Amino acid sequence: MIRQRLLACLAAATAIAAAQSAAAQDCTINIGAVLSITGPNAAIGSAIGDAGRLAVDHFNEAGGAAGCKLNFVLRDDQGQPNVGVDAAKTLVSIDRSPVILGAIASGVSLPILTSVSVPSKVTQISCCSSAPTFTELAEEGGTQGYFFRTLPTDRPQAVVMAKIAKEKGYGSVAIIYVNSDYGNAMAKNFTAAAEAQGIEVTDVVGYNQEQASYRAEVSAALKGKPDALFLVAFPADGATITREWLAFGGSKQLLLSNAMRAREYVEAVGAQHLTEAVGIDNAQTEGPSVEAFNAAWTAEKGSPPEGPGLHTMYDATAVALLALEKAGAPDGTAIRDAVREVTGGQGTTIYPGPEGFAKAKELIAAGEPITYEGATGPIKFDENGDVTGPYLIWGVADGELTTLDQWDMARVDAALAEVSGQ
Amino acid sequence: MTGLAIYLVFFLTVASIYAIVVLGLNLQWGYTGLFNAGIVGFYAVGAYGTAILAGPDRAALIGGFGLPFPLALFGGMVLSGIAALIVGLATLRLRGEYLAITTFGIAISIQLVALNFESLTGGANGLVGLPRPFADRFDDPDLYGLVFLAAMLATVGIIYLALEAVVRSPWGRLLNALREDEVAARALGKNIAAIRLQAFVLGCMLTGLAGGLYVGFIGFVSPLDFLPILTFQIWAMLIVGGSGNNAGALVGAVTVWGLWTMSGLLISRLVPVGFHAQAGAIQTMLIGLVIVSTLLFRPQGMIGERAGGARFGRSNAPPVAKDRNWSTGGGGQQP
Repeated sequence: MIRQRLLACLAAATAIAAAQSAAAQDCTINIGAVLSITGPNAAIGSAIGDAGRLAVDHFNEAGGAAGCKLNFVLRDDQGQPNVGVDAAKTLVSIDRSPVILGAIASGVSLPILTSVSVPSKVTQISCCSSAPTFTELAEEGGTQGYFFRTLPTDRPQAVVMAKIAKEKGYGSVAIIYVNSDYGNAMAKNFTAAAEAQGIEVTDVVGYNQEQASYRAEVSAALKGKPDALFLVAFPADGATITREWLAFGGSKQLLLSNAMRAREYVEAVGAQHLTEAVGIDNAQTEGPSVEAFNAAWTAEKGSPPEGPGLHTMYDATAVALLALEKAGAPDGTAIRDAVREVTGGQGTTIYPGPEGFAKAKELIAAGEPITYEGATGPIKFDENGDVTGPYLIWGVADGELTTLDQWDMARVDAALAEVSGQ
Repeated sequence: MTGLAIYLVFFLTVASIYAIVVLGLNLQWGYTGLFNAGIVGFYAVGAYGTAILAGPDRAALIGGFGLPFPLALFGGMVLSGIAALIVGLATLRLRGEYLAITTFGIAISIQLVALNFESLTGGANGLVGLPRPFADRFDDPDLYGLVFLAAMLATVGIIYLALEAVVRSPWGRLLNALREDEVAARALGKNIAAIRLQAFVLGCMLTGLAGGLYVGFIGFVSPLDFLPILTFQIWAMLIVGGSGNNAGALVGAVTVWGLWTMSGLLISRLVPVGFHAQAGAIQTMLIGLVIVSTLLFRPQGMIGERAGGARFGRSNAPPVAKDRNWSTGGGGQQP
């Protein structure tokens, strides 16, 4: 029994070693991603993986990067930090991936960063982790600059929502938020921004996910008789809370966070109750770079890219590969430094897609500066590896989700400056 | 070192952390018959205890004592011991599945406390910037990994030898007597409650120690690390390896953790890139399949409990009768 097991292990190890030597001959660079294919984020994980693969395919069509073909390796973290860390370690040490793309949950991305990426000097770019702890760690020097994320942090979103509350003339707002890193940060930042503008925040109530009823939370939030409710939730729980909120006589003036921009939510609550609600989302604003991605995705998949993380994952992968091309070799530290050279607004603009990447390769070869404008619009990382993004404001009209307003980066930056200036 | 060797060092380090937890559970279940379904709770207490004692001082947090790592590790272990003592005093009069449900609930409560007690645990964001012990003395991360592994193997070795000595001692035989027939043990004048509590606290302290070592190795801790699935993983390790046998616990930890992680590696090699998204589900099914097959075809685990061997050592003890009553114990069946 044990001998058989040993033999099986040996066979597996040989297979791995053989695959490794074969890879070396063809000059292939593995590009590793750690995402949740199973587990709590499984519903969105595999589509996000497809977005990463699409970017790698586009690069291969353009002739690869750093003189080699690229091979996208997607690993599942099962929503568990210990599994994700192990997957990342195999990607770095066995597959020799010079970058780690991912993970989705902040609680998985962070241990990968501290125990794999930073010690092994590998650049990590996350599509989806929004926790403020990354910024905190970067400020302390804990990331050594190896961490980037293409998803805007929660703070600008909260600040924009507070601005909208002010514009709408709400004097007092209650907050119900999901008790996660995401919900916590949104609630805190919104409170600070709202109070800075003279809006009273009556009650800040956290809720734990997947309960049958949230009456206790709703009652607590109703106590201060607020003009409006800022709800930070995910669609299913959010719908339950909204229904109970309205049933107990809460205001129809709802401010909704990005995750609730889903048909599922509108249908569960009833569109007729949401006529005064406004929500926010990370904007895939119009523009040639966004259109280029949307068209490429639609051509590949047969349906437009709808769902969280697709645009940001494509951009995370594209930035990593452009930086790899710029660095000229699969070296994590060189890629880290090159990331800032291929983004940030200096040089010829590069759009998503094989043609864009082919153009980028030519320009890099000629020593010309480039700047990537991606599926989420222009990308600029600050010193902590965070991005500020454009936002859209959505509402519900005639039973459908509609876009009410657009906030480009200049407007977001102005709002941020105004709130922190006061 | 080659990539594979570097990875194996990493893998074995994590596996040996789990091996310590499995050894702790084996003491509770394999030898004493205590159905602890709240392993992850004590793992969390040890992890957070170590993190809070060793972490840097922060304005927003109560903790951050910045103690040297070994001291913090010891503190984390003591804290899980205290937690186990409190839980044990309250629950150990429960038997079997009742104890399982209670401990399971306690573990979930501990995770919820970690999620909500923001000023102590950092809440959902977790605690960042935790020092990895002595990492600054090594320039080469691979060498550091190797040294860390050596320290881990030494720790596991010491714990293994100590537990072997313990279970062969009169106290160890008492644990077994308790597992096999509590009424008989009580009839012999033994203090059942005290012995059960001792075994429970000792096992949980080992679990807490492993939690602290995990924090030291990863350098970060968040409530996501302590989901109930970890309890299931640890149980799978013990059952697959062989409950009631410390060597089985070690083998089980390496085997199950290897299955859990290397199946993903193998699948990522064998499955074409276009199907990697589906491969994750295959991996999960594969893990379940192997565990179920082990239970069906080798219920005593890879290394089952030796008849008497583990308990009576190599002395000239009389052979144990083959028709012992196994219904109350965790030892599985005799071959």
